[in-house]
Amino acid sequence: MPTRDQIHPGPNESLVNAPVEVVADVGQKSRAVLQEVGSMFWFTINTVSETLDRIRRGRVPFRAASFFRYTERAGVGSVPLVAMVSFFLGLTMALLTGYQLQRFGTERLVPGLVAIAFTRELGPLLTGIMLAARIGASFTAELGTMQVSEEVEAIEAMGIGPLRFLVAPRMLALFALMPCLSVISSAAAIVATALISRAYFNIAFVYFQDLVLHSLLMRDIITGILKSFMFGLLIGAIACYRGLTVKGGAAGVGTSTTSSVVTAITVVIGFDTLFNIVYIVFFP
Amino acid sequence: MSEPPNHVVELREVQLAFPQKTVLDGVSLKVEPLDRLVIMGQSGSGKSTILRLILGILQPTSGEIFFKQFEITRLKRRKLQQVRMQIGMVYQYSALLSSRNVHDNIALPLEELTKKGTAEIDRIVDEKLELVGMSDSKNQMPSELSGGMRKRVSLARALVMDPELILFDEPSAGLDPVISSVIDELIISLSERSQVTSVIVTHEMESAFRVGTRMAMLYQGKIIEDAPPEEFKKSNDPVVRQFLSGSTEGPILEGSKDAVATK
Repeated sequence: MPTRDQIHPGPNESLVNAPVEVVADVGQKSRAVLQEVGSMFWFTINTVSETLDRIRRGRVPFRAASFFRYTERAGVGSVPLVAMVSFFLGLTMALLTGYQLQRFGTERLVPGLVAIAFTRELGPLLTGIMLAARIGASFTAELGTMQVSEEVEAIEAMGIGPLRFLVAPRMLALFALMPCLSVISSAAAIVATALISRAYFNIAFVYFQDLVLHSLLMRDIITGILKSFMFGLLIGAIACYRGLTVKGGAAGVGTSTTSSVVTAITVVIGFDTLFNIVYIVFFP
Repeated sequence: MSEPPNHVVELREVQLAFPQKTVLDGVSLKVEPLDRLVIMGQSGSGKSTILRLILGILQPTSGEIFFKQFEITRLKRRKLQQVRMQIGMVYQYSALLSSRNVHDNIALPLEELTKKGTAEIDRIVDEKLELVGMSDSKNQMPSELSGGMRKRVSLARALVMDPELILFDEPSAGLDPVISSVIDELIISLSERSQVTSVIVTHEMESAFRVGTRMAMLYQGKIIEDAPPEEFKKSNDPVVRQFLSGSTEGPILEGSKDAVATK
């Protein structure tokens, strides 16, 4: 006579094993994430070292024309989007906070509030998210297609370092242009706030300017700029890494592009949070 | 470490294994100066892999790969890049940079790897385009060219640094028989005129016998025959015999999924 376990071995066994499987799964996923972080780190280090190696040999690492092509695409081309989105967000933020503060008669705090929020936090963050979507995606798709059609391998086979030739100008373009764009973002938001302050809260432009200048500290501006440099580097590194590690043809390019945008946005927000915690704890 | 060889390329007991599959299982091969060595084998047998190993793009699991006196697997990045400058590679699908026109594609290695000025680069590019008969297409984009034209541009790009060795990955794949012959003749005339050694990977018989001065057969990760074309044709190896005749009866399909399909 068979026992109950022999008749239904499946469910019991899977119930016993379920926690083990979950832990193993979490372990494997975490290991994969850590491996990915490690690979991206070494990818960036190798790009820098390949570029420096070239400079040490007395050669320009890449042509100025190729660098400016990317700065134009990433920077100049992104100005309308960044300015418009920041303008609308500044407008909304000024309106919403203004109406709340008006109840306590403190609407004159609005200019300072928006100015600080954008220069230090929202300007770089919004720009980072927009560039991850707009430029990160295009870099990944472009490099991914080159990878799939063996163009990257052909470049490597010629004896040209693909990291220096393909990745370095793109990363540097994002690194250099990101702070400029986040300044544009902050400026657009402040202009929007000035308009709202004038229209709804009777704050004259001259008074608005005074309020902003009094509330903004140099360290707010510097913090914002420093952050944007880092965001530029992170987005560039993630986008190029994802592009050059594409596998599996056209579908692979699609998956990598999605993954590039998702990773870049998550990393930008995560890094921003970490930066704020460290900044507030150690430099209050 | 063993003695460096006097050959242009030498592979010694090269193994390449991935977790699911052993691609090369102890390949030994020598390429003499001015040889046109044709490596034949079934699709997916690892022929193109050998070219990637010679370029140092793939690393073998074990074994040694020499290009002249350099052991490819031990070279540091900078030295490896210098060695690659002496090797030209023509890819199966040409691998031209789609964002650059024909002239800029060929000029790329010169711009990046030499200190030559624009005028001299232009002169060299024109000269190489002339060699492959593509002077008229200088300003066209790769997408505007036919397969054969792309292959010729790719050949011009491989020649532009005056390499000592050119690697061809399936030079006649995807081309009609006439253009395929044109490319073969181009390979022969260029290798004689420019005094370069070539390694050609193909599975197309006609093209192989037209171009090769030596033939090697790769089967199940090993070189099973390596001889001049005339001797190769007379080989007694059953695998080589079946490959040459294109018959479905023989050792090649035994136990493979393709064999089931033929039954």
